[in-house]
Amino acid sequence: MGIRFNEVTHEYASYSKITYKAIQNISLNISEHEEFIALVGHTGSGKSTLAKHMNALIFPTSGTVEIFGNIITKKRNKKIKYNSIRKNVGLVFQFPEYQLFEDTVEKDVMFGPMNFKVPKEKAKELALDSLKLVGLDETYLNRNPFNLSGGEKKRVSIAGILALDPEILVLDEPTSGLDPEGKTTLMKLFTDIHKKTNKTIIIITHDMDLVYQYFNRVIVLKDGELSFEGTPEKLFKSNILKNNHLDLPNTVKTLKHIKETLNLDVDIYQKTAEDVINELNRVTKNE
Amino acid sequence: MSIISVKDVSFSYNEKKLGLKNVNIEIKKGEWIAILGHNGSGKSTLAKTLVGLLEPQSGEILIDQVLLNDESAYELRKKIGIVFQNPDNQFVGVTVRDDIAFGMENLCIPREEMLEKIDFYAQKVGMKEYLDKQPSNLSGGQKQRVAIAGILAMHSDILIFDEATSMLDPYTRSDLIEYIKTLNKEGLTIIMITHDVNEALLADRMLILNQGEVYAFEATNDLLKKPEVFRECHLELPVALEVASKVESQKIKEKLWEYVLTK
Ligand SMILES: Nc1ncnc2c1ncn2[C@@H]1O[C@H](COP(=O)(O)OP(=O)(O)OP(=O)(O)O)[C@@H](O)[C@H]1O
Ligand SMILES: Nc1ncnc2c1ncn2[C@@H]1O[C@H](COP(=O)(O)OP(=O)(O)OP(=O)(O)O)[C@@H](O)[C@H]1O
Ligand SMILES: [Mg+2]
Ligand SMILES: [Mg+2]
Repeated sequence: MGIRFNEVTHEYASYSKITYKAIQNISLNISEHEEFIALVGHTGSGKSTLAKHMNALIFPTSGTVEIFGNIITKKRNKKIKYNSIRKNVGLVFQFPEYQLFEDTVEKDVMFGPMNFKVPKEKAKELALDSLKLVGLDETYLNRNPFNLSGGEKKRVSIAGILALDPEILVLDEPTSGLDPEGKTTLMKLFTDIHKKTNKTIIIITHDMDLVYQYFNRVIVLKDGELSFEGTPEKLFKSNILKNNHLDLPNTVKTLKHIKETLNLDVDIYQKTAEDVINELNRVTKNE
Repeated sequence: MSIISVKDVSFSYNEKKLGLKNVNIEIKKGEWIAILGHNGSGKSTLAKTLVGLLEPQSGEILIDQVLLNDESAYELRKKIGIVFQNPDNQFVGVTVRDDIAFGMENLCIPREEMLEKIDFYAQKVGMKEYLDKQPSNLSGGQKQRVAIAGILAMHSDILIFDEATSMLDPYTRSDLIEYIKTLNKEGLTIIMITHDVNEALLADRMLILNQGEVYAFEATNDLLKKPEVFRECHLELPVALEVASKVESQKIKEKLWEYVLTK
């Protein structure tokens, strides 16, 4: 099952005759389980467009997307229950403002479960639990989601998908706008969900530190096309970073600087600060 | 002489929700300030009071020695440009071109010059091919780039960026930062709200907000030597300094500090 892209192209129509090809000829397999994927690429490379195909929010201009057995094509198909696809694959938008719409935080987070016939009391419970997971306490329940700070809005929109608890989670830049503590808490939370439930999670990000530290598969888009697929290790050791508007993680950059200025024989490819410390201590021990 | 003086400013959104509490800050012309703080600490609120979008219940704000109030706000807005946290709040025009022009229109820049500037700044942020597109049909990062171009084009004395680079790819981001550096060298005052400590390192001083209050406001290089401040405010240190605090070799420690302090 899972999600399968088969030569998918998406062109956005516009008022003028010009159309914009956002993604082109993408073929891609994403398993229902066990995947923890980082989707990266320059601004405008087509990441959000690709993500919106994953739960049939938009349809391909050509090609097909298979989502849990439903074959999505250009034309709407009466036999497909598009709504139930949202329970298979949950998507958190890049801008929380596009996602939030109720007049209280509680109602907003309850919306997903209620939409799939979870009883009200249970949905309330789920909402509070999910809000707590993203670091918001009960004082937020009755707040208007539009009168929150940027990072608080982001957290509410993420709580929404946690309450819904879909089979696959797709999150479009979930950590942009989060404070450092929130970023770590949420990345740990996603990792935890992935490990405990074996659910596939796909995260769009520009943060190379996160890509290296947390993920086991990276997909890179460039001008709407697939430009790389593989492990973070392979990506960061490749010579395609600049070409794709990417960069090395800070751990690697720091070690590279040390290696070059002190002429040390260190392995610069370390994922966390702790790994960097161990590696440096290892090399200097024998001096 | 301060270009921005914030004197004992307090602001609350309503009886229950405090935004800022007794904030005092002085910023000199040509300084580069980074504002850090947890989600909901009051960064955007502070930025909005500086441009006169929110009126503090108490205290006063002076921009270039002029008291900010209803009468002066319009004139003062010409001195201070802000890129909002959500670029959608910036857009008013039908096309990207209109949007970049919008800020300049208020400055009464002649049409010829304006067209030239639109081209120049669209190019600067890599959006020249998108000038006829509707801003609402852009990707997240493209929206941020357009919002930034509009503010750069105004070339105001003070530029405030409220997490304006949060959705840019690493390359576009460092490109833009390089350009902001040159503007700063020309004497523009830069205020950058950010969660990215590496970006904050570029600032002369860091202002750390915590629950609506100023927790620290010090030279970047001094503040970095107080890791407890970062811990207490739930912030992070650059990787290099985290490593420096635990690595055994003295020589490496020194190199790591040098690496951070020369950024
Ligand atoms: N329009 C509003 N009405 C009521 N409360 C608000 C409003 N806007 C913000 N707040 C509250 O004021 C506090 C400060 O918000 P502010 O937007 O200044 O935070 P911030 O530091 O910019 O956070 P972030 O990093 O998440 O952007 C927050 O607790 C927030 O919930
Ligand atoms: N509604 C739309 N109408 C027309 N063109 C669009 C629309 N949405 C996106 N595009 C264009 O399609 C391309 C891909 O956009 P997309 O939002 O998928 O990029 P992205 O990789 O998510 O970028 P970012 O990192 O900036 O969010 C961009 O060039 C964008 O301008
Ligand atoms: Mg996007
Ligand atoms: Mg903010």
